[in-house]
Amino acid sequence: MLSPSLVLNRSIRTRNGIDTVDESMLRFTMFRATASVILFPICAFLLFSPTLSFATPPTTVQKIKARGVLLWGSDAEGGAPYVFPDPKDPARLVGFELDIAETVAKKLGVRAQLVQTAWDSLIPALERGDYDMAMNGLEIIAEREKRVLFSRPYYYYTLQLMVRKDEMMINGIKDLQGRTVGTLAGAVAHEMLKKIDGVDIRSYSAAWPYEDLALGRLDAVFLDTPITVYYGKPDQRLKCAGPPVGGGFYGIAFRKGEDDLKNVIDSVIEDLLRSGELKRMYEAWGLWDESQENLLEQSSSPDAGQRFRIASNDAPLFSFLPLLLKGAVMTILLSVVSMALALALGLLLAFARLYGPRPFRPVSTAYVEIFRGTPLLIQLFILYYGLPNIGITLSPFAAAIIGLGMNYAAYEAEVYRGGIEAVPRGQMEAALSLGMHRSLAFRRIIFPQAFRISLPSVTNDFISLLKDSSIVSVIAMVELTKTYGILAATTLRYFELGLIAAILYFCMSYPLSILARRLEKRLKGQT
Amino acid sequence: MIKIRNLHKSFGDNRLFKGIDLDVAQGEVVVLIGPSGSGKSTLLRCINGLEVFEEGEIDVDGIALHSLNQERPSRDDLEAIRQVRLKVGMVFQQFNLFPHMTVLENIIEAPVHVLGTERRKAEEEALMFLSRINLEKKAHVRPGTLSGGEQQRAAIARALAMKPRAMLFDEPTASLDPETVGEVLSVIRDLVQQEGMTTLISTHEMGFAREVADRIVVFDNGDIIETAPPEQLFSSPQNDRTRTFLARILRKA
Repeated sequence: MLSPSLVLNRSIRTRNGIDTVDESMLRFTMFRATASVILFPICAFLLFSPTLSFATPPTTVQKIKARGVLLWGSDAEGGAPYVFPDPKDPARLVGFELDIAETVAKKLGVRAQLVQTAWDSLIPALERGDYDMAMNGLEIIAEREKRVLFSRPYYYYTLQLMVRKDEMMINGIKDLQGRTVGTLAGAVAHEMLKKIDGVDIRSYSAAWPYEDLALGRLDAVFLDTPITVYYGKPDQRLKCAGPPVGGGFYGIAFRKGEDDLKNVIDSVIEDLLRSGELKRMYEAWGLWDESQENLLEQSSSPDAGQRFRIASNDAPLFSFLPLLLKGAVMTILLSVVSMALALALGLLLAFARLYGPRPFRPVSTAYVEIFRGTPLLIQLFILYYGLPNIGITLSPFAAAIIGLGMNYAAYEAEVYRGGIEAVPRGQMEAALSLGMHRSLAFRRIIFPQAFRISLPSVTNDFISLLKDSSIVSVIAMVELTKTYGILAATTLRYFELGLIAAILYFCMSYPLSILARRLEKRLKGQT
Repeated sequence: MIKIRNLHKSFGDNRLFKGIDLDVAQGEVVVLIGPSGSGKSTLLRCINGLEVFEEGEIDVDGIALHSLNQERPSRDDLEAIRQVRLKVGMVFQQFNLFPHMTVLENIIEAPVHVLGTERRKAEEEALMFLSRINLEKKAHVRPGTLSGGEQQRAAIARALAMKPRAMLFDEPTASLDPETVGEVLSVIRDLVQQEGMTTLISTHEMGFAREVADRIVVFDNGDIIETAPPEQLFSSPQNDRTRTFLARILRKA
């Protein structure tokens, strides 16, 4: 065997074209090079890859026990009585699901740790591996069973319709035609409502709709019994309309393939049922009723979702288009009206700040600082949920327009101010020396020039607003993002629908960009 | 026509005018000369209210401008200033034409929106002005494409369109190329000689001053150090500082 250095020398000499290299030598060199290129990564992979050990891979349960912690996903913002901050000590979480999780963990010999996740994202986050199991009133339905593994049921829920105390016309869900009803986005209650013609559905994902029902923004609320027990029934202004309807089971969700975990949890639940401990836990929360006896018979996750056939996973993508387009129209409407308000109010603010009488100037500055310095989300909440405390109840659309408009007005005021200050001083001096009043000079001389300067920033903000408009979903406005969220939460087709929604947003912003650039060019050519 | 008495003006802690007086009679052409920062521009801007002053009186054709309380000028004070501006036109060193309007629109803007002149009439008069200063071809063009000299001539036409009784020129040719200075100066010369317009001009153009001035007022550091008809001033200046200034500026020219 020739040493490598000799081979190398040969190669060098060959490159210089001095000698013809021995053919077999060349082939050997190439073989060694190729072999090392292939073998090295394989060895590294074998050495470092955890899955390629030669013992049996650890089960999920073993992993959890080794870790010492059972991670479970739930939405503490979802409210009582599932998992929620203790009103007496908000740093502490309580809830019947928390109790179940802790009991289960104890039986496994580990402790339970909650991983806070928004309700709509519970299943995707589970699939992504953020935690071992998800438990938050997840109804066992066919759609979900395609994606996750369910435990045996741990609660039998029904759906209860609630209305205001003085409501005479609504006695059951059949009377809901033409009415406005609040529910949880993506829940079975939501699906049931969709089947009824002519119902105006308002979906909520955070604050529960009972307050809105009492205020008159909704005619009825249709939700699961645990929620009804905690928020609906105690409210003196409301009453139940008809007996509970429908019904299904809550299950704990696991990733597909982790049957060992499911089996262990199932046996824990069975123990809790047989020993009566589960019944005691539910009684403590006021959730036990005779229908819970069903649980004992359900030894495996029933496919109870048959009653409610929801948007099929097999539906072609374009069948979602009408709904998404409807959301897009609302987005455009919201953005255009809000921006108009923002531009008008912003101009007023800028004018007051620069030319107004002395007392108005700090007011204008204060407005700008406050609205820029606080989150839009909070402003919307205050407008929608806070104002009713002083007697002003706005519709979702009004609150959205006012909230977005007032917030963006603060930014536009600064954009205008910058534009106005960028106009050379001499312009105002020339206008004044011709005998113009300040306001005339501003209107005809300063503002047209300031506007041209501000235009790029204004269009930038408009495109921003178009996307920010999605934030109004928290006050029960359904626009494009919310529509996407609802569809995705029910069909679990987050990726494809997300792409379509993103494309729709792009189709709305891009023409704006182009229009803006064209407008800028046209104005510039005229200066 | 213009009377200035005991004018005091400071910029912050810097005192500029410490009680100056000046009279300009109707039809008179007064040229202000002096080093930069000596107060020539400031005086012109005090006359038409672009600058406020602390003490003293300015009277323009019967309208009295009192010292203006900067914090809170009264409505009467503001209206008095506006009346003065209707009587006195101003031409700036930087032209200050309105860039988003054509030359014609620049000229008719104030007559139409301030005086309420009918638009067609204003346009006719404007075109007449423009033809007298050889700018009628540029009537429908935006100022951005004009040369400095053309812009300044248009600015003069714009000020004249308001039919003022007096004109203030604040270093009108200081921003122009030497080639175009002449065309602007000839417009001003025609204006003062043919129309008999009461005029105050601040300038560094000594030759021009000599030609058109009835009286030259020399400024230095906020003081009026000498006043004399041009031949007298240039041939035998009385004040030392005047002599120094003239020597410097004539050497440069």
